[in-house]
Amino acid sequence: MREDPPGQAPLAGVRVLECADPSVEYGGRLLAGLGADVVKAEPPEGCESRHSGPFVDDAPGPDRCLAFWADNVGKRSVVPADDAELAGLCTRADVVLHSLGPAEAARRGLGFDALHRARPELIVCALTPFGQSGPWADYLADDLVLMALGGSMAACGYGPGPDGDYDTPPLACMGDQAWRTAATYAAIAVLAALAWRDDGGTGQFIDVSAHECSASMTEWHLMTYLCSGAVHRRGPHPTLTAADGRLVAALNPDFLGPHVFAGMLAMLEAEGVAGPLSDPQFADPGYRSANYREVWRALKRLAALHDGEALYRLGQGAGLPWGVIRSPEEVVEDRHLRARGHFVALEHPELDRSVTYPGAPFLAHGSPWVMTRRPPRLGEHTAEVRAEWSAAPGAR
Amino acid sequence: MALAGNRILDFTRLGFGAQATLICGCLGADVIRVESTTRPDPIRVMPPYVPEPGRHGEGFGAATLANATAATSPNRGGIFYKYNTGGKRSITVDARHPEGLALLKRLVAEVDVVTESFAAGTLERWGLGYDVMAAIKPELVYVSMCGFGHEGPDTRHVTMGPTAQALTGLTFLTGLPDRAPSGWSFSYLDHVGGYLGAVAILCGLLHRRRSGAGQHIDVSQLEPATALSGAILLDALCNGRPARRPGFPTGNRRDHPPSAPGGAYRALGPDRWVVISCRTEGQWSALVEVLGRPDWAGDPRFATLAGRVEHADDLDRHLEAWTRTLDRYEVMDLLQGAGVPAGAVQDAADRLERDPQLAARGHFTMLGNDEVAPLPLEGLPVRMSATPPRTGGLFDRGPPCLGQDNEQVLGELLGLSADEVAALAADGALS
Repeated sequence: MREDPPGQAPLAGVRVLECADPSVEYGGRLLAGLGADVVKAEPPEGCESRHSGPFVDDAPGPDRCLAFWADNVGKRSVVPADDAELAGLCTRADVVLHSLGPAEAARRGLGFDALHRARPELIVCALTPFGQSGPWADYLADDLVLMALGGSMAACGYGPGPDGDYDTPPLACMGDQAWRTAATYAAIAVLAALAWRDDGGTGQFIDVSAHECSASMTEWHLMTYLCSGAVHRRGPHPTLTAADGRLVAALNPDFLGPHVFAGMLAMLEAEGVAGPLSDPQFADPGYRSANYREVWRALKRLAALHDGEALYRLGQGAGLPWGVIRSPEEVVEDRHLRARGHFVALEHPELDRSVTYPGAPFLAHGSPWVMTRRPPRLGEHTAEVRAEWSAAPGAR
Repeated sequence: MALAGNRILDFTRLGFGAQATLICGCLGADVIRVESTTRPDPIRVMPPYVPEPGRHGEGFGAATLANATAATSPNRGGIFYKYNTGGKRSITVDARHPEGLALLKRLVAEVDVVTESFAAGTLERWGLGYDVMAAIKPELVYVSMCGFGHEGPDTRHVTMGPTAQALTGLTFLTGLPDRAPSGWSFSYLDHVGGYLGAVAILCGLLHRRRSGAGQHIDVSQLEPATALSGAILLDALCNGRPARRPGFPTGNRRDHPPSAPGGAYRALGPDRWVVISCRTEGQWSALVEVLGRPDWAGDPRFATLAGRVEHADDLDRHLEAWTRTLDRYEVMDLLQGAGVPAGAVQDAADRLERDPQLAARGHFTMLGNDEVAPLPLEGLPVRMSATPPRTGGLFDRGPPCLGQDNEQVLGELLGLSADEVAALAADGALS
């Protein structure tokens, strides 16, 4: 396979000033991974995400917050003396990421018109719960509210009881997924704005509504409603319980063609658990569908013979898109991700420890992901950024 | 538009890859889908089917006669319309036909980016691997998007969204305490993988502009997901507190930062819910005012956030006795009016028909094509002042009918005449 020689990071030399609540931090992290110099402007007590648990060794402190670490790896931290210094830093950046509505931005000297007058090349991206306009613009949201309004929650949770009624609520995945989706869209828009500016364009204002981003998911659910008038009702995907109690998501996408069932049948026969499925009638999709209970019984017989990780690999060996359900820490052991060098250990010398972080979201040998700088301590880089950012950046 | 002037030869299918090129199309790239009439994108021929104007079709997964009829057209598969806005064009070229492969090589020379989402090795088997394409166009940005990527010991593994969600911890993190996880009932990682696919395309274009060099960027459906568990992963790795432990995940409750009340509460109507989340004393006081200062709210156990967290079950029971008497939007508006974060649990119909914010922001754009009447479709949900994204893309149009742009694209890019295109079609190269 051809491998590209390593080159420079695509955003090397690009300055990003991040002045934001936790919602947009993940977007800044992506830009840092692409090589941008991402500087976090914080109040003297530290930004919001430094003050919530969990903390390393469960000892609170602004430089010990794991949520802050997760989303601020690769950035620098400054504590500006006041809003005037903050606005000054903005006008010497290429990109400003903030999470303010129009009134608050103007009050702090970060309104787009003022910044644009001072530096027409500046790209300003505001990520707020509902965007800068509309009847809900001043409404408040946390991730749960956004997952509710966006439609993910209505689609996720346990199924109804035999009477068709639900006795459990719609559920949202943990980990701030709506904010992460919105922050990723913010990063995409910033990259596009940089590409356009490189081609001779100016700076501009990017208005990201986390609600709209969150509402853009749910795969086929809008289309189902538009096509049939039916609303998707929540319920889990089917799983198999392996011999060690681990669960395996066992998808059998017959719609992709007859090879899917053929692969499954060969596996079940090799394991001696095919039972009635060897009857040629099961090759007929209609018959199979009408007798799906037999398919599921055979799969359960198979699952009882193997531990979860082995069952997952067995299914994959038969060409089935199966996956064992892992907790986040179990993902770190995955041999494939390890071979791809995905997880990266960074030294935290002041704590005398090294911390493992998720690394590059894709492999780009020609412009490797930048993952060398541990998350910043509060105000760690105030003096050096003041010196380095004393003038506007040169043209790229 | 921001990516105007960039051209993408797009071999993606299904959701994961197509989400990436949808984003680039909305940003103004000219996205040319390369498709097959004999092996159409499965979402072109899968239910739900877009109905004839004024009629409802059939539900997802239903195998009925009406569906069998609809499936005779590759332009009615509903999910195709979710993932193929952005003004994408469609050509049909058979890579296994010698003339077809020759055409594809000529097209590679005319584009900036090639995207695909086949199993690793597919383009090589056609004779169109990265080494072949890079020899034709050294500055080509080639972005592959497939389950396990093109490098590593398990590249033969196949994924759908739920597979990747299981393997990366996201299924695990969706569920009530001490029960099997419920997981997501849709392919969240088709979306997220596609977002990172778009980042990869932009990364390649920005890098090429600076260095002049092309490259292959290998996007899997796993790596875009590992950072989504945030502090939960670091808590396990740094503090030895695994997520696989009793009482975790915590359903809709969030410990960091804590909120109480916090969760989904029953509202008036069948299976109607509203989310409420109070993190501060101010929000709690405002909530109590909206409730009309009921006696229970004065319970000393609820006087502090720590107390409310500790006694959250009791608190939730009291609160739900109120919410279940009201419409979910009424609860939301009452509380938001008082400065308390709250939101109705909205389904697909709600987003289309009730959500005033999506409507005011112009979230949906009516787009159709030669076969399908205009539908409210989605694009790139961000506003850009100087280069506004458009759901209809460069040509302001709906998702393409299969092969509808053969003549135009081959004429425009390769200078082929209508007669030459007709001859290629007759020869079977355009199937």
